[in-house]
Amino acid sequence: MEKDEKLVFETVALAGEVLLTSGAEIFRVVDTMNRIAAAYQCQNLDTFILSNGILISTSGKEHGSQAKIRHIPLGGSRLDRIDAVNQLSREIGLGMHSPQQAYERLKQIQKMPSRPAWQQVIASGVGSGAFCYVFGGGMWDAVAAFVAGLVLYLYFLYLVKGRLSKIAMNISGGALVTVVALLMLNLGIGSNLEMVSAGAVVPLLPGVAFTNGIRDIADEDYISGSVRLLDAMLVVACLALGVCLTSFTYNYWIGG
Amino acid sequence: MLRLICEVLAAGIGTVAFALIFHVPSAYYWRCGVTGSAGWLVYSLCLPMFHALPAMFAATFAVVCISRFSAVQMRCPATIFLIAGIFPLVPGLGIYRTAYALVTNDTSSAGDIGLTTLKTAIFMVLAILLGLELPSGLFRKLANADTDSAKITTNKTKNR
Repeated sequence: MEKDEKLVFETVALAGEVLLTSGAEIFRVVDTMNRIAAAYQCQNLDTFILSNGILISTSGKEHGSQAKIRHIPLGGSRLDRIDAVNQLSREIGLGMHSPQQAYERLKQIQKMPSRPAWQQVIASGVGSGAFCYVFGGGMWDAVAAFVAGLVLYLYFLYLVKGRLSKIAMNISGGALVTVVALLMLNLGIGSNLEMVSAGAVVPLLPGVAFTNGIRDIADEDYISGSVRLLDAMLVVACLALGVCLTSFTYNYWIGG
Repeated sequence: MLRLICEVLAAGIGTVAFALIFHVPSAYYWRCGVTGSAGWLVYSLCLPMFHALPAMFAATFAVVCISRFSAVQMRCPATIFLIAGIFPLVPGLGIYRTAYALVTNDTSSAGDIGLTTLKTAIFMVLAILLGLELPSGLFRKLANADTDSAKITTNKTKNR
């Protein structure tokens, strides 16, 4: 029985950790943990979740209490993992898994492979091109934005790979996109610098942090919400700075 | 008119592309694409009738509602559709124009465009908040007709 209690606690903690590293909202993390705990009769679970940390404790029946603290760096978005954990917690609620099975399933979810890099690169290009067109660019502008989007993700996935801080990554990303856009325009592909750059910058925009930040604040998780919104604002500021750097240099040295 | 159709299609394609980057399970790509397209369609249709800000509000609200409806129907978190679907509406052009105006020392238009971009973002926030406040029973009722088919889909996802 004692072992079981420990395993249930570990399962609850792991579920929270997987969700938070995948970029779930605080409300979802708390809700899922409570659901799993309730399904396994884990009593007196107390949770305190921030956007970058988990603190949970239980007071067990006979063997004293358990507690866990996890630091979780602000991570990327893995919506597939969020969906999988959501599904799992629903199934646990229906009594379809023993704690052991649930724990192993969570370990599997944690190891879910990310999409192959080439798919992400192409998606970034397609997204940039499509949004360039949506913003009002022409066909050739979209082609130029497509190339800029490709280059951007090639740079991120193969050159940066976590070597740079987030700030440096975004400034250099914004600058790189503008360089490529200028290059394409000077090669005669595309005619509207504004549209090409605006489209190509879209993969850098912090849509996830923005949306989740608002959701956290709507759920009255003010600390986590403001951390995420601050993250979003910082990313936008860095991006704008990168764009500024390139345009300024270009206007000063070449454009006159 | 043709331009509008192409733009709506492009918004859908772009949304699916970003859905892939955010690792949305491939079973939901269609829904994400439709959500993104619908958002841009609402924006484009409202734009001639109202000011840009109410149009943005309506579009974001539509995206949130569709996301929540899909979430109930497909039994998965609304975030999946919301994050991808909102991308066509994020004011990327405004951010770029602000940065560019700053560089060219055009302070007054930088302030102008920057403020408009900020207002757009605030209207999006308001729409998201309003959409999230709607009672979930409403979406459950709307999706109720298809609950049985949704159950089958859930089982499929489970088995895979």
